[in-house]
Amino acid sequence: MMIKLKKVLTLRTIVATSAGLTLASSSFVAAIQMAGFLAGDSAWIAIMVGGMLCLGAGACFSELNGMLPSAAGIRLYFGRAFGDTVALAVSLLYMFVVMCVVGAESYVLGNILSEALPVVAPVVWILFMFVVVTLMNIRGIRLAGNFQDMVTYGLMVSLIVLAFVGFYHTGFRFTTPVAPGGIVPVINAVAVGVFLYVGFEWVTPLAEEVTESRLIARGMLVAVGLLSIIYSLITMAMTSAVPREAIAGSPVPLLVFARYVLGEAGVLWAVVICLASSITTFNAGLISVSRFFYASARENVLPRVFSKISMRYFTPWVAILGVLAVALIVSMLVLITGRYLVLLNTAAAMESIVYAMSGAAVLVLRKKSPGLPRPYIVAGGAAVPVLTIAVFFLLALSVMAFDPVTAVSILAGLGISFWYVMKVVPVLKEKNSARRPAARRRPAPVSESQPEAIPAGTDTGSKPEKV
Amino acid sequence: MATHQEITDSLKAFAEGYNSNKRLQTMNRDWNRVIQVLTTDIESAHTLELKDGELRFWEGAADKPDLTVLADSETLADMFYGDITPTEPYMNGTLKIMGSEDDIVRLDFISLLIWGE
Repeated sequence: MMIKLKKVLTLRTIVATSAGLTLASSSFVAAIQMAGFLAGDSAWIAIMVGGMLCLGAGACFSELNGMLPSAAGIRLYFGRAFGDTVALAVSLLYMFVVMCVVGAESYVLGNILSEALPVVAPVVWILFMFVVVTLMNIRGIRLAGNFQDMVTYGLMVSLIVLAFVGFYHTGFRFTTPVAPGGIVPVINAVAVGVFLYVGFEWVTPLAEEVTESRLIARGMLVAVGLLSIIYSLITMAMTSAVPREAIAGSPVPLLVFARYVLGEAGVLWAVVICLASSITTFNAGLISVSRFFYASARENVLPRVFSKISMRYFTPWVAILGVLAVALIVSMLVLITGRYLVLLNTAAAMESIVYAMSGAAVLVLRKKSPGLPRPYIVAGGAAVPVLTIAVFFLLALSVMAFDPVTAVSILAGLGISFWYVMKVVPVLKEKNSARRPAARRRPAPVSESQPEAIPAGTDTGSKPEKV
Repeated sequence: MATHQEITDSLKAFAEGYNSNKRLQTMNRDWNRVIQVLTTDIESAHTLELKDGELRFWEGAADKPDLTVLADSETLADMFYGDITPTEPYMNGTLKIMGSEDDIVRLDFISLLIWGE
């Protein structure tokens, strides 16, 4: 059925949303971390490989999204494919990981701002950012579509220009750009490099705002392609222009690079880039997770208190404050321990698990629901989904193998999540069913004497009535 | 399977609940939207219009709605009577809503404020 809507999104906005959610200040940290596995300036190889693998996952998401266009996203796809318990447990953990990414992002941005303005400590910047974003969320303020497009495309152009400034600075000289130093370093780099693309599929909730679901597929694929090129250029520029020891392990590599090639003007440029990168990720992360909290509370999967709504702004204020609290705690823990890389690795591993599951969901649903309309089908039969499952499963294992803390976090997270879904959720559901009115409001149907259905659009002789 | 008339009655109950809530009307006075309600299993279409805080509805489809609510007749009748929350059918894919995410959330808020948990 073709449904017309007053407002529909264009490909330009879909690409901007997908890329904008992915580009973050912490992405530059991950880029340098992945470059650390490889020899010379060959990080672009791992970035391109990571991008191509994400295109496979993107194709799987496109098939799922075409079949089930809904803001519920993985909760719905995995629910249909693997059952509600698995879908809920994975979604809950995934949302928790997103909150951790928001925490890590605030830590990185706090450090960048503090580097530019040393009189203000990172903790002050972090608190300031959280308060601003929370107030924006509670008041229901969103970036206007056109403004967001402008910010994202401006950011992409700015990164490309900055990369070429770096290349010019080094006289376009690169160290072993095509010799990464072996297959194992490449695998490790790609595993971490998945973080660079975290969130490109968060654009699928927009499926309900387009009338042509193939646009979402096209938008995701274009965004991943653009991101691969931009990340490759800026990472090569950073590794070729700045000595490795000056940039490795820094929470602010882009700023170090910009200062190295352009002095204090570069610092200002890097601050603007990082602010623009963070604003979309930060805001979208908080909005998505708080809406998920709210919907889960409405479904009696989380405590009822999270479904409370601000009567003034129509926003789920308790859910927003709950997300703020968790992200703030994560941020403070990172500030105290300085172990922000664990969060990036955990996010990369969790994202790989979700991508692998998306491949599996495509195959399961092709068998389980062959009749569902599929406006987009991954080409090549089962090859791409099978490859997506195998590759991302291996990448998740690879991240966990070189970072035991990540392995423990993911396994403990999955254990707690499944325990919560199997033990706590039934209690919450039972409590709620006891609270609901015993009698249904809908009158029982009068059997055998129901009036005939009135066909859609039939003039019933009545004017639009105000009830 | 619910009938077209049952869906009409459920929308009547929904609209009565809405229009008797002055606070809800005040909160939505700037939210002017046309919402189309379509069924997947019987031939039935309705249009809800929110204008200046007031809600009215009529039978038949809308020309260019802001939101389209699509589900089987049973789900729609139960949902507009407030016997089920929209969240559960939405999460399992039985209920589809086409429109902006903010509008979808607002519609759920309205249902919550009319019928409670």
